[in-house]
Amino acid sequence: MSGGIARGRLAEERKAWRKNHPHGFVAKPETLPDGTVNLMIWHCTIPGKQGTDWEGGYFPLTLHFSEDYPSKPPKCKFPQGFFHPNVYPSGTVCLSILNEDSGWRPAITVKQILVGIQDLLDQPNPADPAQTDGYHLFIQDPTEYKRRVRLQAKQYPALV
Amino acid sequence: MATVGEVETAAGGEDLEPLFDYKRVQPRITFRFDDSDLEKADIFKHCNKRPRVDAAAAEEEGKPGEKAAAAKVLDVDEEDWLLPPPPKAVFRPTAEENSAMRELRLKKQELAKIAESAHSMFQEFDESANKEVGKPSEPIILDEEPELQVEKAREKIVISIQDKDGQQQFRIYKDEKFDKLLKAYAKKAKLNPSVLSFVFDGEKINPSSTPKDLDLEDDDMIEVRHKGR
Repeated sequence: MSGGIARGRLAEERKAWRKNHPHGFVAKPETLPDGTVNLMIWHCTIPGKQGTDWEGGYFPLTLHFSEDYPSKPPKCKFPQGFFHPNVYPSGTVCLSILNEDSGWRPAITVKQILVGIQDLLDQPNPADPAQTDGYHLFIQDPTEYKRRVRLQAKQYPALV
Repeated sequence: MATVGEVETAAGGEDLEPLFDYKRVQPRITFRFDDSDLEKADIFKHCNKRPRVDAAAAEEEGKPGEKAAAAKVLDVDEEDWLLPPPPKAVFRPTAEENSAMRELRLKKQELAKIAESAHSMFQEFDESANKEVGKPSEPIILDEEPELQVEKAREKIVISIQDKDGQQQFRIYKDEKFDKLLKAYAKKAKLNPSVLSFVFDGEKINPSSTPKDLDLEDDDMIEVRHKGR
């Protein structure tokens, strides 16, 4: 059963994460109100890189794993309307390593996904726009783009 | 033995000729002796590096059980893996064989005794070795017992604390408050504990809670945050 494979892999990912992960990152499976853990949905936090306009922001990201994981990548979502050229209005991240038809490999870990998305924040890919707002400002008005990014970082302060 | 008797009565008592004339065979023994002499001759010298094996083989005269016993004893004495040479085919008059058999039986008993004594020697050696090992281990067990009881009551856990510079491992009791760990960390990092807080899974750890409360496992990692930022 593929679902068993997905859950087994996710349990391993979680185990490895608990033992070691990059500083400031959070990644934990969803806990349901009755206390049971749903390994198929993970609530994560990606810290903005120091020395960039994203610094100080702790951006919430949700990973939705399917029963076909790790054959297929998880869907990674920021909150709706997240400001970034490569994030769809729905919040879904557009990144090559998260694309089943291009860069995804089953060996890619949750840690690699999150670090990859952190890199993407400050290094948008203008060749692959996903929203008009972020894309146009990035291309046409770098000053305003910067301001919007800093503003957004303040919207997501550290929770602790 | 029965055959010996039969042969003797057949040869001596009745005028019936035995089906097989053993007397005719008898002279051939000399060939055998010649043969063994020949083995000791110069041309075979290189084959007889270990005269003991030869002697043993000669003593045996073809009894497989004895051969095995002899081989075992030899194995202990010598490292050579080669079995002694196979016994020569012997065509002896049965009368002579009878005395030879007696000799052989004696030899067999001797060998069995040697084997037995060797075995008991090994056992003694084993026992004394066990005693030697056992003696020092006993006090350790005694020492460990109370410690084990304490550990059962207060389980310890290894937690790695991550800050910007890297990770450090700390070993604390599972039911000890994080407050103590925070102070220990602050002292080591030369920081004021009041500006520090621990974070696990993105949530601040209450200093009055314990690793047990958070279901922490061995080698779990928690992060340090500075409150000022």
